[in-house]
Amino acid sequence: MYTREAIVEQVRTTLFQLFEIPPERVTLDARLYEDLEIDSIDAVDLIDQVRRYTGKKLSADDFRSVRTVGDLADVVYRLVQEA
Amino acid sequence: MPNGSTAVAATGDRPDAKRDSYYWRLVATGLSFLVFGIGQLVLGLLIFPIVRLLPGDTTTDNARARALLRRTFRLFIEFMRCTGVLTYDFGGVARLGKPGQLILANHPSLIDVVFLLGFTPSAGCVVKVELWSNLFTRFAVASAGYVSNSPTDLMIEGAAAALAGGQPLVMFPEGTRTRPGEPLHFHRGAASVALSAATSVTPVYIDVNPTTLTKAEPWYRIPARRPHFCLRVGADIDMESFRRMASPPAGSRAFNSLLLDVFFRELKLAPKDERGPPTEI
Repeated sequence: MYTREAIVEQVRTTLFQLFEIPPERVTLDARLYEDLEIDSIDAVDLIDQVRRYTGKKLSADDFRSVRTVGDLADVVYRLVQEA
Repeated sequence: MPNGSTAVAATGDRPDAKRDSYYWRLVATGLSFLVFGIGQLVLGLLIFPIVRLLPGDTTTDNARARALLRRTFRLFIEFMRCTGVLTYDFGGVARLGKPGQLILANHPSLIDVVFLLGFTPSAGCVVKVELWSNLFTRFAVASAGYVSNSPTDLMIEGAAAALAGGQPLVMFPEGTRTRPGEPLHFHRGAASVALSAATSVTPVYIDVNPTTLTKAEPWYRIPARRPHFCLRVGADIDMESFRRMASPPAGSRAFNSLLLDVFFRELKLAPKDERGPPTEI
């Protein structure tokens, strides 16, 4: 029920709502830490937001492998496919 | 204790002249480290294992260990006071120790945590992960169930669990000891915990004069004068307005900024624009 495109769009919306990052900066290869300046505390809030959106808990281990917006969309996509 | 004796003009000595029984204080400082180390080993190898044999689950064991540590920290502080290593006063202690209370302090010296844990009933603490691999601290941090500062997500979970379990929790938002001369900087981890899990948030302002046991110096470089530790418990910070903000990151940023302002004001530090690069995104 979720397409990958819809998830990327949701990531854009969420990053804007949480951190006021302009959606045009949120490209698939934008790096969360270096390019978008999301720190480890932000990451905790972001994981929480993923849980609200998908109803599932993204494990911190999964999140550690996330570097870019594309990676994030991928792990969320896998998460919702697991159902 | 002779406090307020910081005026050196009376004797006409140079301010860096060695005073207040300098060489005795040097010996006593070394002795304090020795006593601390031996005390921790005795607790870790003898006392805590016995505590674990008593009836009760891990939560009970941890609470007993924290109570024991509190007493030993108090003894240790009195040892340092009686041997003339330092003098101190701690104002407002009665307001420390409420269940779920987050206690946020600045971190000028190595032994700040000894004061805070020595004077706060049943307190937990967020401590750096390295203490689990230090021979002299590993037993205490493990037995008391203190929370490791790393990785960040587990720190926030652990801190929230400790507060939810009714512990008062001590955190140093600076993350590490202040480097003298460098601007005060707070990590947002403490702000995040304050926002999401604390029932009350209480600042403690610590002023050590002259500075001692800072990040920048080894233990034997003691100050020319006997250091005085002044700890003051501040008024609770109301979290409601921060919790009502649009998103948790916005709330934690706003709280962190206010917290920094409060500490700057109370510690009479240089004005805001000298605090270094802004933490805003």
